[in-house]
Amino acid sequence: MEKKIGVYVCECGPNIAEKVDIDKVINAVSSIDGVAVVEKFKLLCSGDGKKFLEDEIKKHNLTHLVVAACSPKQHEQTFMEVCENAGINPYLFQLANIREQCAWITEDKDEATEKAIRLTKAAIGRVRYHSSLEKKELECTPNVLVIGGGVAGIETSLQLASPDRKIYLVEKSSSLGGLVTNFEKTFPNMSLTSDVMKQKIQSVNENENIKVFTDAEVEEVLGFFGNFEVKVKKRDEDKSSAEFNVGAVVLATGSTLFDPKKTSQYGYGELDNVVTALEFENMNSSGKITLKNGKKPNSVAIIHCVGRDETGYCSEVCCMYSLKFVRYLKDKISNVKVSNFYSDLCIPGKTYQKFYDQTKGKHVDFIRSADLKVTKKGDKLNIEYKDENGSKKNLGADMAILAPAMEPTSDASGLAEVASISIGDGGFFSEEHEKLGQISTTTEGIYIAGCAQGPKNISETLVQADAVTGKILSSLIPGKKIEPEVKISQISESFCIGCKKCINVCSYGAITFDEAKKISVVNEAICRGCGNCVAACPSGAATLKHFTFNQIYQELMEAVQ
Amino acid sequence: MNEKEGYLDVLVIGAGIAGIEASSLLSNSGRKVHLIEKTSYTGGNVIKFEEVFSNMECSTCMVAPRQQELLQDKNINLLTLAEVEDVKGSFGNFTVKIRKKARYVDLQNCIGCNACFEPCPVSLKNEFEEGLSERKAIYVPCAGALPNVPMIDTENCIRFKGKDCKACQEACAFEAIDFNQKDEQLELKIGAIIAATGSGTFDPKQTPEYGYGKIDDVYTALEFERLYASNGPTEGNINLKNGKAPKSVAIIHCIGRDQKGYCSAVCCMYSLKFNHYLKSKIPDIKITEFYTDLCIPGKSHQKFYEKMKETGTDLIRIQEAKVEKQGKGITVKYDTGKKKDSLPVDMVILATSIEPRDDTSELAKVLGISLDEYGFFKEEHLEASSVTTSKPGVFIAGCVQGPKNIQNSVSQANAAVGKILSLSK
Amino acid sequence: MTREFEPRIVGFLCNWCSYAGADLAGTSKLKVPSSLTPIRVMCSSRVDSVLVTTAFLRGADGVLVAGCHPGDCHYDKGNYYARRRFAVLKKVVEGLGLESDRIRLSWVSASEGQRFAEVVNEFNEKIKKMGPNPTRVKTSL
Repeated sequence: MEKKIGVYVCECGPNIAEKVDIDKVINAVSSIDGVAVVEKFKLLCSGDGKKFLEDEIKKHNLTHLVVAACSPKQHEQTFMEVCENAGINPYLFQLANIREQCAWITEDKDEATEKAIRLTKAAIGRVRYHSSLEKKELECTPNVLVIGGGVAGIETSLQLASPDRKIYLVEKSSSLGGLVTNFEKTFPNMSLTSDVMKQKIQSVNENENIKVFTDAEVEEVLGFFGNFEVKVKKRDEDKSSAEFNVGAVVLATGSTLFDPKKTSQYGYGELDNVVTALEFENMNSSGKITLKNGKKPNSVAIIHCVGRDETGYCSEVCCMYSLKFVRYLKDKISNVKVSNFYSDLCIPGKTYQKFYDQTKGKHVDFIRSADLKVTKKGDKLNIEYKDENGSKKNLGADMAILAPAMEPTSDASGLAEVASISIGDGGFFSEEHEKLGQISTTTEGIYIAGCAQGPKNISETLVQADAVTGKILSSLIPGKKIEPEVKISQISESFCIGCKKCINVCSYGAITFDEAKKISVVNEAICRGCGNCVAACPSGAATLKHFTFNQIYQELMEAVQ
Repeated sequence: MNEKEGYLDVLVIGAGIAGIEASSLLSNSGRKVHLIEKTSYTGGNVIKFEEVFSNMECSTCMVAPRQQELLQDKNINLLTLAEVEDVKGSFGNFTVKIRKKARYVDLQNCIGCNACFEPCPVSLKNEFEEGLSERKAIYVPCAGALPNVPMIDTENCIRFKGKDCKACQEACAFEAIDFNQKDEQLELKIGAIIAATGSGTFDPKQTPEYGYGKIDDVYTALEFERLYASNGPTEGNINLKNGKAPKSVAIIHCIGRDQKGYCSAVCCMYSLKFNHYLKSKIPDIKITEFYTDLCIPGKSHQKFYEKMKETGTDLIRIQEAKVEKQGKGITVKYDTGKKKDSLPVDMVILATSIEPRDDTSELAKVLGISLDEYGFFKEEHLEASSVTTSKPGVFIAGCVQGPKNIQNSVSQANAAVGKILSLSK
Repeated sequence: MTREFEPRIVGFLCNWCSYAGADLAGTSKLKVPSSLTPIRVMCSSRVDSVLVTTAFLRGADGVLVAGCHPGDCHYDKGNYYARRRFAVLKKVVEGLGLESDRIRLSWVSASEGQRFAEVVNEFNEKIKKMGPNPTRVKTSL
């Protein structure tokens, strides 16, 4: 079909009109092949301007539109809508930036005019090679897979479940609740945990829109956002498996504690009465805090930062729960002496310092220490340490509680592979963006929440669980279709040599290999259109829609005239 | 709340990073959002930072695409220079009165060419730049501010004080300046409210031992951010008042911590960030960080600290510090508990505590929610999801609820949206 | 009569950071040589040897590739690939018989209008000193 390109130059008031000889630009492009009309207008982005363009398109039966005006970052969207309203495919349009990157960067009118002509000609040349691009719509299922039945998984499931959205909650162990079920109380309000947890677990079990799998693991997650195919394996006698489709996956698999056996300095596993924080929580929950010999401890040392050097990060919650332990001890054992051995007190946030201030008191010591070692001295334990001045000191204690670093679970890397996401700092799941995307991953539709993403307290875990809920509820809407990116990569079957270089460079896993045809195939639902695969492809099989070689070549040609 | 019975529109108060993220997410779900912002620009405090920890990403690059989307999003009704005056009703059924101050510049006609600034005869200190540079009575707070449309500061504009000045209007080729604009009062029917109005910072004039406001070259963290910013008052050149580059800097943590009674969670990290800032501009500079406890929780933050240690910076744990003038320079007198010593430096940066904004208590009254003992908005349960308040339908997100970093603010914003969307299913 | 050599420089600017930085240079009314023709790409990782070779064979005196700072790439790691690829691109330019300095890779963020102007000004001067591209082959591609 014959191309009829309409070219419109915006005066942008004096911003372009006074810096560029627009008439000269018009003259320079009028006789270009395919150009049906060239006009100028005072302000094309205004209501009048947009109407003018729409009328012009209809009047001249234009097939393509070129506007020479401001930056596409300002008004590309605006003029694409004008095209759509006037009946042209919005991608048959090009905006030449003759303002920010032309009129405004020089005082020399001749120079600016010459460049404006160059840029407008480039846009005209390019638009000739534009193809219509259509928005796609994909069906999706609103159901969600939640992996991990701890506080994060429970919260997410309860928030998301509804008659038109089924939740599949898969828990590795035989019961729901995760680590928090071990705690009698949680900081800073010291409210009782078990009732709350029992209630929540009951809500989950009674919710007919949540299907719970315990003693189960996720074996396979295939597909993409809106259309994941999941396989769950159960550890029952039949070793049965379940298969179902979901639109999104939430990894809320929590964390584990550093094993103090890995370092010899704390005597863990060798000396009696050296326990980890989790062991102490259980001891406390059972109602009896006792030594191996059945007696109550008169003096307890709480040792912070166990494993911090090995893991290389601060686990955020240990200082606070150590303070909680002081309170547990004070509540249950009168006159118990407690000493906290720490390096830096980590108590950020509006309420935590008050909790600390209130915990300090009679018979509670906070000893800043280094080079700590736990040894035996007679019946008791001996804490050897260097104090703030570097002097070697000793303190006897009946019991030592170790606050170990929080670590990713042992199956984290395996799960990451199953879900096609990466592992990041500390071995935890990698978020999409440290600041703005803490709970999403580079794989669209796969979310992370809670300690699986990194050490954090319960409040932050619940916020993340609700944040994931927000993401899923706003993007996976029952009945609504998903619109993936349009300007994506495509790989020619004939030219692809099956080298897989494109697959290697794709940050999103958007390219898969067709074993039968031995060629790479782009998943149009996932591709984000960066063009990395195009550059990596040695045979020119990969092209990027709207940024093809031919299109860019047109701009290049004008650049070197 | 039944969807069929209530209003679906959401009111988001505050267009900082939390407000922007909440609005964006709500818009994605198809909800209409009224985003109310008190100032003339979006982005809040985050756009004042050149880079953010710990990936040292350019803050503008991070936020600008979001701000731009905001302006073009059909579901988001951005109202700048607007405040919430009254809230009546309940979850699903709020009637909100908004007072929108006149900008005196037409948002549609203005194309952001800035021609109106130059002829304005009034010059005064630019609040956005922490007073380090000047602006006119018709102004945008900084280069790249969005929306890129100026406002007239009527308290300082001589026309609004009675003189017949039309300098800005005459310079405008787009008829965008309209002195006849009036403040508006709007009434909105709203289903839910998210308050994300952010926080302020402790004024070190309250702690005179640090010499702020009396000794030259003693800066607050925000002032230093603006000094380093490439779109700031010195285009990113870090110079002393005498024009020379500093050879030594002291960064003092925990300014105001004793007065406020809590740890502000972000200062250690941004103080380490400042280390990077300084080294990148002045590689030989000697930096000393005076701190009490190093607060760097999280999987990525200690790595950041280790990198900073490699640059040769000294970290000195102290119990007390004082900043005094010494000849032409400054001396930091400090007490480690073990010894008392002093350090001569060219410049001091004070890492000031985060505190509630002055207008937080007023807004709490309007919304019908309470403040906690520190003056931040009070969450319903500190150990549950911290975004709900005692008033159903009113949610909070970001530093208005308490000091926190950007990622936690954004997660709270998303969580507030999660609560709204799940409660209305 | 000798006319001063005005270079023809092609600038591949990534949509998210460097194109925005270039816009900011304009909004701030900084002086940027008009010898640079900006070509917008979505990511600096799109720039390959075909584009670079074509540019130089068609007579470009210089090619500037600009992207987001490492760690800031909108597409996660695109600019890291651009950086690695750049080493190859330099060799390609040498292979054409040109100075490898005729191609440059710069990181420009959206807020670095000043920096963009500096980079282009400096590159322009450098290319001027190098002189025009002798390889102006009319090759059919």
